[in-house]
Amino acid sequence: MSQAASADHLLETRGVQRTLGAFVVAAAFDRTGTAAFALGDGSLQLLHGSEWRSVAAHDGAVLALTADPAGPGFVSGGDDGRLMRTARDGTVAEIARFGMKWVEHVAGFADGKSAVLACAVGKQVHLFDGAGVALKTLAHPSTVSGLAFDARGKRIAASHYNGASLWFVASKSDNPRLLEWKGSHTAIAISPDGDSVVTAMQENALHGWRLSDGQHMRMSGYPGKTRSLSFTRSGKWLATSGAESIVLWPFTGGGPMGKAPTELAGAAEVICTAVACHPQMEAVAAGFADGVVLVADIASGRLLPVAGPGRGPVSALGWSADGARLAFGTETGFAAVVDFSRT
Amino acid sequence: MSGVPRASETAMPDTAAKTDQIPVTVLTGYLGAGKTTLLNRILTEQHGRKYAVVINEFGELGVDNDLVVDSDEEVFEMNNGCICCTVRGDLIRIVGGLMKRPGRFDGIIIETTGLANPAPVAQTFFVDETVRTRTRLDAIVTVVDAKNLPARLADSHEAADQIAFADVIVLNKTDLASAEELAEVERRVREINPFATIHRATRGDVPVTALLDQGAFDLERVLAHTPDFLDDDAHEHNEDVASMSFEVTRPIDPERFNAWIGALLAAEGQNLLRTKGILAYPGEDRRFAFQAVHMMADGDFVGPWKEGAPRHSRIVFIGRNLNRPQLRRGFESCQVKE
Repeated sequence: MSQAASADHLLETRGVQRTLGAFVVAAAFDRTGTAAFALGDGSLQLLHGSEWRSVAAHDGAVLALTADPAGPGFVSGGDDGRLMRTARDGTVAEIARFGMKWVEHVAGFADGKSAVLACAVGKQVHLFDGAGVALKTLAHPSTVSGLAFDARGKRIAASHYNGASLWFVASKSDNPRLLEWKGSHTAIAISPDGDSVVTAMQENALHGWRLSDGQHMRMSGYPGKTRSLSFTRSGKWLATSGAESIVLWPFTGGGPMGKAPTELAGAAEVICTAVACHPQMEAVAAGFADGVVLVADIASGRLLPVAGPGRGPVSALGWSADGARLAFGTETGFAAVVDFSRT
Repeated sequence: MSGVPRASETAMPDTAAKTDQIPVTVLTGYLGAGKTTLLNRILTEQHGRKYAVVINEFGELGVDNDLVVDSDEEVFEMNNGCICCTVRGDLIRIVGGLMKRPGRFDGIIIETTGLANPAPVAQTFFVDETVRTRTRLDAIVTVVDAKNLPARLADSHEAADQIAFADVIVLNKTDLASAEELAEVERRVREINPFATIHRATRGDVPVTALLDQGAFDLERVLAHTPDFLDDDAHEHNEDVASMSFEVTRPIDPERFNAWIGALLAAEGQNLLRTKGILAYPGEDRRFAFQAVHMMADGDFVGPWKEGAPRHSRIVFIGRNLNRPQLRRGFESCQVKE
């Protein structure tokens, strides 16, 4: 068996794949297990089982996608300035429109009782309840470049120029906790315990704040920009893209300060372009600029190849909630879902 | 600082990759000079070609185009040790977003606000890897009000900066100025920027071919428009923007040049708006082209020297407070020993 064939073994035996013909911006699963790929041509491509459905959601490019926190289906933002809800049957409804400004980020949170939806439009973050009713608008000093809810949905963090803002979702007062650090912050993540906020920066580095004691964390040395950062379920590791390997920073025993990161799946000259931590286990899915997709078990360092090279730089990764399936897509429009469950 | 290039690390540019890069035209000019009129003219004349137009919300007139992106000009400082290194954060985001759309654009046109300093836009193309790989800065086009330029130069820094950064200057509203006024305005423009191509216009009536696809930031074309050698010392040691050029006859030692230009840009980068050079390295048949915007520098080998023509190295500075004797001595000391 040739090497390329073995690298594609899982994709070929356990995958559903399709060439979609447009940049795959994001991939996500809704709570029922339907997968969606958000594309640069404005469509969402829904995959239920092995059945594909194309939905025209935006007039322009889709820029952001999340599972609908209120129920089955998805919520997306686009460069047409609209925030849209797409049901599993392909029905599309507008939640809000914002004129010429792009809806660049969306995030959702749901527990058993309630759902909150957030989108970033220019300098503002708009919050909606599950029914799509506007709750409030959070203003920032500059354009919001990333959004993240904490694990309990109590707070939402937004990255921007010179730092990040941390807001209480339910608070009546509209004052955020400002996390300051000079420079342009371009993406954000919150640790599962809610104590660490980490941003990616324009200068190929990460910056972090430990909320309990105000400690700053600097993580640098990347050859490229980190576009994707994801905490493992336990919060022990922060997985990041932007280097010629998956770079994992330890967040145990005092944090990453003064420690070297763990690097997995190193490949000379090939940059890791996307990461997504497994929702249940200490494992991370990673995509690379040459199209390779793999899953790495962090403790053992074992690598499970999912797709070999040649289908375009990986631009989207997403796990189903049970961690049984992984969706991925590339800049050149390849998309697939691979099922890891025992059959 | 990033980027004073080392001769040993440079390679011929990958031409295949270059053709995939989307050209970006930056349209700048003082309030009321006629930027939006010119922009609409470009768009109406470009039948069948697709442009993404980036404007700011303070635009005076509507822009007639399918894809108009409304952006707040967000100038971000970089944490890389250069105090004058700033980028347009909104452009980095917008270019990233536009690249997701299917089908190719023929170009991106960015209209800046009247008071904008063009340096952050230009530096964005040096600093950001995505912007650098996916797009190329084609030219900075500055629209100038022929009648009111002297007043603008007298009361604002920005008017001179916009001329200093220009690759193409549209001397607009020429119908409102006399022949003498026009000659004087052109002389002032030349004094600030000897490289730029000047087009006279009324209501922005310049052929689109003179504005788009200029390749002005290509290293190959760095010194395509050979400026006249001005030996005019009238504007040294003052706040006016001026230009100075130097030529040496012996080959340039790359290590000495890198050391000198690196130190010079680090110390004087705030005053040096643009620097361009064509260098003859010892035993090298290709010309080395060098350019810098403030402290951000870039360089590569370009085409070979013309056969039989003298291999003279030259460098041109546009900036404030230029010290002619010091710059000349510095450049001369980069030559290989006799």
